[in-house]
Amino acid sequence: MKLQGKIALVTGGRGGIGRAIVARFMREGATVFAADLTEQGSLAEHDKDGSRFIGMDVADETQVRAAMDRVQADFGKLDILVNAAGIEIEKSIEDTTLEEWNRSFAVNVTGTFLTSKYALPLMREAAKSGTSASLINFGSYDGFIADPGLAAYCATKGAVHALTRAMACDHGPEGIRVNAVCPGYIDTPMLQSFFTGEGSGGGGGNIDTLQQAVRDVHPLRTYGTPEDIANLVNWLASDESRYASGQLWVLDGGLTAQVQQMRL
Amino acid sequence: MDNHTAIVTGGSRGIGRAIVARLVADGANVVTCGRGPAPDDLVEGAVWVQADVSMTADADRLIHEANTRFGRVTLLVNNAGVQVEKTVAESNDDDWNLVMNVNCKGVFNMCRAALSDMAEEGGNIINIGSISGMVADPSMALYNASKAFVHGLTRSIAVDHGPAVRCNAIRPGWIMTEMAEDGFALANDPDKAMADALARHPVGRMGKPEDIANMVAWLASDQSAYVSGTCFTVDGGMTAASPLNPGLF
Repeated sequence: MKLQGKIALVTGGRGGIGRAIVARFMREGATVFAADLTEQGSLAEHDKDGSRFIGMDVADETQVRAAMDRVQADFGKLDILVNAAGIEIEKSIEDTTLEEWNRSFAVNVTGTFLTSKYALPLMREAAKSGTSASLINFGSYDGFIADPGLAAYCATKGAVHALTRAMACDHGPEGIRVNAVCPGYIDTPMLQSFFTGEGSGGGGGNIDTLQQAVRDVHPLRTYGTPEDIANLVNWLASDESRYASGQLWVLDGGLTAQVQQMRL
Repeated sequence: MDNHTAIVTGGSRGIGRAIVARLVADGANVVTCGRGPAPDDLVEGAVWVQADVSMTADADRLIHEANTRFGRVTLLVNNAGVQVEKTVAESNDDDWNLVMNVNCKGVFNMCRAALSDMAEEGGNIINIGSISGMVADPSMALYNASKAFVHGLTRSIAVDHGPAVRCNAIRPGWIMTEMAEDGFALANDPDKAMADALARHPVGRMGKPEDIANMVAWLASDQSAYVSGTCFTVDGGMTAASPLNPGLF
């Protein structure tokens, strides 16, 4: 129970990775707000996990402010903010419309900005207890190296990486730690969409063969689960990581530790 | 590069030979070396000195010969390197000594010998690192580690010996040398292996030794006067792309 007594808010809290984080935080004793567009989120089935749902579009300033007002009214502080809401457009820049580009940045970058901006007063309040507050953004290994046909997504994640360092720099003195988790291939609805996508994914190929091939490229011979990410987020959220800030934590089963694996 | 005296280690073949050829073409006086006698196809105009960079005395002698013959060395290109294709578990002491003596101590020896003048009089050092010093090639453990050493030493020299000395490194990706061609020849299906390798390169081809020589020429020139302590990747975009390009499967 590493998060006993802590108040947490997870955006994208009903999505693939966000939901696993919410569940883990609950198990660790935190009080958790799961913010998402809809109560069901991106998953077909949502079982009641005991979290407090907040209907919110992270790109909408009014809704974000309302969410933080609710946290303020209920608890007066926020110890943990996880910016896990994100979308991806599976296209090259040539095929990406301005609307799609703007929506990618609105959710992935502006959403991180807005949610953090309005959470900061609550997090400063939490930090007064003597333990640091923890803000965790979602970058991606795609912020370092590119997957084909994911141009806007790659760019938004690079922006989140830089924003993470900037926020760590600005708010460290206030007792707020800021880190980003950068997942590799994680089994989520987003990944399955990528596998079956027209532009970059399977392109009509056999999805089982494709999935196995993807597993085989990883040094650990598997791609990750949302729970793998939740394990790291839980550590970053807890006081165990009190000296960790400003870092980009790549969690990818060793994928990016290796040079391209030529099939010799 | 007129009036420049350059040393390029390991200039008998591959990337080193292309660097020698480019610097000679650009007007530099070039001394190159290797552990054996002068190769038959030594670049015309280059001077060969038989020397093993892992031997401190050889490194000193190489600098001395270049100084005596052409005047003070103004450019050092540390290209000489060896690789042993093994994991840590497979590597023995001889493997360690070979890789570390040539790839690490050799670069250190040459830099130290060159800096005896350069630290005061100025100069330019270019080290050949590798993308493998950033991300791992399988079964190349000691080589990968030795190249990370080269990157670290590059930054240290830039920090410690600026402004007199500029020091940068180049990290080549897959460059088609005799060494790489042997690798493809051994593949189960060489044509398929080559097609796969090409698909991983955004520029659509493998590297040529001249691609690295082009970067050396730029880093050796005044065009790069404000560049120091940096490691440049020249790999046709390979390490910018995810190894998981589903289109390949």
